[in-house]
Amino acid sequence: MNVTIRFLRPFARCLVPYTFHRKRSNLYSGVLQRCMSSKIPSLSCHNKDSTSPPEQLELDGWKATMKSSIQEDGVSEVSDKDEDSLTATRELIEMWRLLGKEVPEHITEEELKTLMECASKSAKKKYLRYLYGKEKMKKAKQIKKEMKAEAREEAKRARLLETTTGEQQDFMFLRLWDRQANIALGWKGIQAMQFGQPLVFDMAYDNYMKPSELQNTVSQLLESEGWNRRNVDPFHIYFCNLKIDSAYHRELVKRYREKWDKLLLTATEKSPVDLFPKDSIIYLTADSPNVMTTFKHDKVYIIGSFVDKATQTGMSLAKAKRLNLATECLPLDKYLQWEVGNKNLTLDQMIRILLCLKNTGNWEEALKFVPRRKHTGYLEVSEHSQEAFRKLKKTKTLSSFQKGSLNARKWKR
Amino acid sequence: MTFYLSGFRSFPKLWKSNLYFELGPATSSASFFLTVHCVIGNQQRWFSVKPTAPPNSKTLNLLVTKARTHKKGNDNNMKVSSGPHYFAAGAAKKRSHISGHPQNQGHALPVRSTVQLPTKPLNSEEWEKLKEDFKGKASFEDFVISQMAGNSSSIDVAKSLLAWVAAKNNGIVGYNLLVKYLYLCVFHKQTSEVIDVYEIMKAKYKTLESGGYTLLIRGLIHSDRWREALLLLEDIKKNMVPSKKNYGDCIQGALLHQDVNMAWSLYQELLGCNLIPPLETLKAFFDYGKDINDDHYSNQLLDILLYLRNNQLYPGESFAHSIKTWFESIPGRQWKGQFTTIQKSGQCSGCGRTIESIHLSPEEYEFLKEKIMRDVIDGGDQYKKTTPQELKRFESFVNTCPPFDIVIDGLNVAKMFPKGRESQNLLAIVSQLAQQNLQLLVLGRKHMLRPSFQWRKDEMEQVRKQAHCFFADNISEDDPFLLYATLNSGNHCKFITKDLLRDHKACLPDARTKRLFFKWQQGHQLAIMKGFQKSKLTFQHILSYDTVVQTTGDSWHIPYDEDLVQRASCEVPTKWLCLQRKTQAPAPC
Repeated sequence: MNVTIRFLRPFARCLVPYTFHRKRSNLYSGVLQRCMSSKIPSLSCHNKDSTSPPEQLELDGWKATMKSSIQEDGVSEVSDKDEDSLTATRELIEMWRLLGKEVPEHITEEELKTLMECASKSAKKKYLRYLYGKEKMKKAKQIKKEMKAEAREEAKRARLLETTTGEQQDFMFLRLWDRQANIALGWKGIQAMQFGQPLVFDMAYDNYMKPSELQNTVSQLLESEGWNRRNVDPFHIYFCNLKIDSAYHRELVKRYREKWDKLLLTATEKSPVDLFPKDSIIYLTADSPNVMTTFKHDKVYIIGSFVDKATQTGMSLAKAKRLNLATECLPLDKYLQWEVGNKNLTLDQMIRILLCLKNTGNWEEALKFVPRRKHTGYLEVSEHSQEAFRKLKKTKTLSSFQKGSLNARKWKR
Repeated sequence: MTFYLSGFRSFPKLWKSNLYFELGPATSSASFFLTVHCVIGNQQRWFSVKPTAPPNSKTLNLLVTKARTHKKGNDNNMKVSSGPHYFAAGAAKKRSHISGHPQNQGHALPVRSTVQLPTKPLNSEEWEKLKEDFKGKASFEDFVISQMAGNSSSIDVAKSLLAWVAAKNNGIVGYNLLVKYLYLCVFHKQTSEVIDVYEIMKAKYKTLESGGYTLLIRGLIHSDRWREALLLLEDIKKNMVPSKKNYGDCIQGALLHQDVNMAWSLYQELLGCNLIPPLETLKAFFDYGKDINDDHYSNQLLDILLYLRNNQLYPGESFAHSIKTWFESIPGRQWKGQFTTIQKSGQCSGCGRTIESIHLSPEEYEFLKEKIMRDVIDGGDQYKKTTPQELKRFESFVNTCPPFDIVIDGLNVAKMFPKGRESQNLLAIVSQLAQQNLQLLVLGRKHMLRPSFQWRKDEMEQVRKQAHCFFADNISEDDPFLLYATLNSGNHCKFITKDLLRDHKACLPDARTKRLFFKWQQGHQLAIMKGFQKSKLTFQHILSYDTVVQTTGDSWHIPYDEDLVQRASCEVPTKWLCLQRKTQAPAPC
């Protein structure tokens, strides 16, 4: 009987689609029947005599059994054309899965429609791989959850056995830490709203991003806001140029839900130049020719909330140029031995660096938040020799560059 | 059993730069298992155990440097003046060798396989035993058949594997095994076997996926049942656009079975899908054309040549031979073909005819000028590359000056010789050109005017005396200004830069404009030869003719790619096929 189980598995998902049209159900039961019929006991499987020499190997026997699973047709005619292409896509995915390609096991109607809207073959494959990854992650999470629940049950049972006597214990506090912490953070947030240094996220880039990039941006914004909230001395965050009912706004409201209206930050449709004096604004962009030397507590820093996977270089610099704003970039090259990757950092990394600078002013401490994979270590530059070092670097890079001979550079780790 | 591997972070740096992945005919899934396998393998052990492991890094380094110096020596021996022009096929590769970045020194990495692939069919026990030896993440059957596909084992061995699998699973063989077996059958051209697998697949699965269809099509076109390949093509169309290879196979199948109309209609369909037909398919049309004598057919072949012209495609060497043979086979017309080169003056060495000029027609020129202005400089956001104020300043500057003869990219030229001071380099070039009474324009950035170690004030003063100068903001791009100033001055104007301007070409909206830009660039870009400084200024010579398939009615000139030369996309072939008619018969088109 194990034959049927093995062979049924690929088709098992057909039994649990989200919407179950009658036509398809017909079709799948047909497929199912076909599969069941394929377990006709084969003749060739026992003709392999163990003593037979290799020359007499029956090599074509398997074909007969494979062919014998005759297709039972008659149910598969589907009238609706749209329906037809949907099932065709479904079957294609199924075949790809059999081939070991990275495609999801289950796919919903909406996902199928999105798939069919993909313009090119590679876009389709990419989307399927994305779904595959998502499904795998979800499954792993589910398994972990079950294991945890089991462990909890176990622990509970063990505890029941141990604690038989209900002893009276003295406590100072009730266990309401999370709530207390939230309230405290809220108070701090209100203080920041009143007296905090402004930090602006410029949301004017939604036209340059694809939906997936926009979602990434919103995730990063959420994380940035979280880091800011937990800081000792939070910024007063502004979401500028945030148009009501734009894709941005919708996504933010969708993620925050009812919390959106209670967030301790300022979301506005206005541009930062309307809110703050122009000469106090500094636009942070990696393309800037000016390097940030110190964190200034009287300036308004702007971060462009823009995930750019299409490498449209110079977008934010162009924006700052248009508004005639000062620009700065982080001194990454000065402090870090850069190895791979883009100098553009994620929004949450930016805000953590800025928060750290605000509180300590120590660059090395702040640049801890630059991902470790992007650089090999810190450059040790003492204050007085910085100028000399820069000159040395210039001449050294011009002449033949040798790592060992460069005394001014030392690895910290 | 050699694979070229790349992309493994864990390999020593040495390997990183110059490996490329080339699996040859193996399917994509084969490559997948290959990677899985290598990742499992313990690297240290891998390097030491393998008898054919590469030599240690020291000797290898030695080899690399040896090869490099050897190449360098070769290049130095060659006279520079007679060297290929800037955009000639293979020139970029040569340049990269000179600048000391050897590419394409493929190191063959032997792949360790835990299983010795059998060379003759095995029986069940032997397969079982082999399976016991196997350790790996993938399933044994999958791994073995992938290896077989990679090594193109004989199909009997694969068959014995499938028989064993079928015996184990009550006669069921998985789809993935079947597809790889099919790959082997197609590879070994075992048509009857292909048809068997086709029957099995038809019986077992309602639809297949694109990989299976592709293999079936490729296998079936050689059989009598080639028409079913067309049905399979229809099946692919249900889900996606068939690949150009699918169409190419079907067309070849149709030609193989003398169904010319079908072949042409498939060809039209292929063009309709905006696919670029594979050159082998076009070659097949020409090869087939030898045997038939039909005006309609030959007109269609000439259409193919015009397609090559319009899309700036170049035939390969064997395709060029096919074209030659076809032309020579036309009865009564007496075409004569020869392989030749074009002289610097733009005359064909074979027949002495002048090749089409590289210069754009007036309409094309205006079109390109407007596109450069709109898409490269403006680009929807003037602040991206410059500012509106600067643009206005530049436009009024260009309009007040007389048309220039030469536009110089100041920064590019100044940085060309790292030994000299930058302003000194610039001055040397400007004064040499100024002596020839040319109207010069030097484009630069404002920081060049600020006196510094590299930029001396007096030298910059002299430059400004001898040439018109325009200095853009430090954060603006100067190349777009260079392009516009050159285009605005007219057709005689040239520009000097070593930059290949690929990023600006990429800003252009469509392929046609890009081709126009490239053509214009070939005709107007002057690149300074290395090693100048002391000696007289010499430029890479400019092509005076356009490298494209062309005809004058009674002659054809067709550039083609040699098989042994690698050509970068920014280069053009140097070899030509010259076809001309001996007698003055009425022109065929």
